[in-house]
Amino acid sequence: MDEATFTRHAEAYAGRLYAVAYRLLGNRADAEDAVQRALLKAFAARASYAPRWAVSTWLYRVLSNVCIDELRRRRPPPEPLPTGDARRAPRVEPVDLARALDRVPREARLLLALHYVNGLSYRELAKIRGISVNTVKSQLARGKAILRKALGD
Amino acid sequence: MDRMDTALREFFADTAAPRGLARRLVGRLAGGPPTLAALAGRFRIEATDRGVLRLYPGRGVAAASARAQRHAAQAQEELGEYLAGRRAFFFVAVDLAGVAPFQARVLAEARRIPFGETESYAELARRIGRPRAARAVGNALGANPVPIIVPCHRVIRGDGSWGHYAFGGRMKTQLLALERATPALVGCTSTRIVCRRGCAHEQRVAEPNRVVFASVPDARSVGYRPCRVCRPDAAA
Repeated sequence: MDEATFTRHAEAYAGRLYAVAYRLLGNRADAEDAVQRALLKAFAARASYAPRWAVSTWLYRVLSNVCIDELRRRRPPPEPLPTGDARRAPRVEPVDLARALDRVPREARLLLALHYVNGLSYRELAKIRGISVNTVKSQLARGKAILRKALGD
Repeated sequence: MDRMDTALREFFADTAAPRGLARRLVGRLAGGPPTLAALAGRFRIEATDRGVLRLYPGRGVAAASARAQRHAAQAQEELGEYLAGRRAFFFVAVDLAGVAPFQARVLAEARRIPFGETESYAELARRIGRPRAARAVGNALGANPVPIIVPCHRVIRGDGSWGHYAFGGRMKTQLLALERATPALVGCTSTRIVCRRGCAHEQRVAEPNRVVFASVPDARSVGYRPCRVCRPDAAA
């Protein structure tokens, strides 16, 4: 892939990559940093890009790799499960959901973000993480079950 | 489609990227990150039969026996890979036999700080059971005979500033930045095996087949198994 093509794709996808990174890492500075690092890595490895892949799949994989490694350095949140009024809330508040997402294991959280931010299919998710479609399904189901429990749904 | 689906879709929908992000990031692509790889040949390595004895700025190796020479050569190769961002751990043995017991404990504990993470002098002091000895811990690390291999650069001050570093604060910044940009656990999508970065098997994984994991249990949860050579599950 030549430089001009890469730049065009990077410009087209930067916003979507940012949205995933923002939801995973929780703040704008880290999200921008992650997208920057992912694009740098992809740019350096653009010679090894295989055309049988969709460009988006490849960029999402590079971004996932960066975000997961960033999450590795963060300690898990210590506070216990929230209880009480969440049960009676008429709808799920974004703040509660963000907090509940912190309790979802990293792999499932990544899949949830990719699936819901950009509407990627199970097949695409499987390809991005190098796992089977069945694993994608079970991870998403597990992630959602943990969210439901955390939100008292 | 249930309530959770709707909530998740709404939650994930409303992130707009800052304006001009794409252009700004793409503009920075040509520069690339600063590289430490050039430093690889600028260390002098002293080794004994037991392992690497000392590492300091200079050139060449000092090793009396063939075995010591093998340790020195291995250290040189691993250092080069580490500084090029292709290695997240050191296999080479170190010879800390001549080090005082307190310093040996500090250095052993420093080796357990995972790649890419940092810890404060006070935390390290607490972990060796001497909570009031933060300053002594600093001195013990300052006199680290094998910097980089024993990662004293991962220990920083409690307020987040760097503190003293034998090779200078800039180098400490660069090392920590390098570790931030280098993944520690890499899985291969065709074999579904997860290795530590720098393992001989990991180095053979083709670029398009690489996925990064945050921990071995994470990798296991999606069907990957740990490598039997670099043993990421046994590592600290």
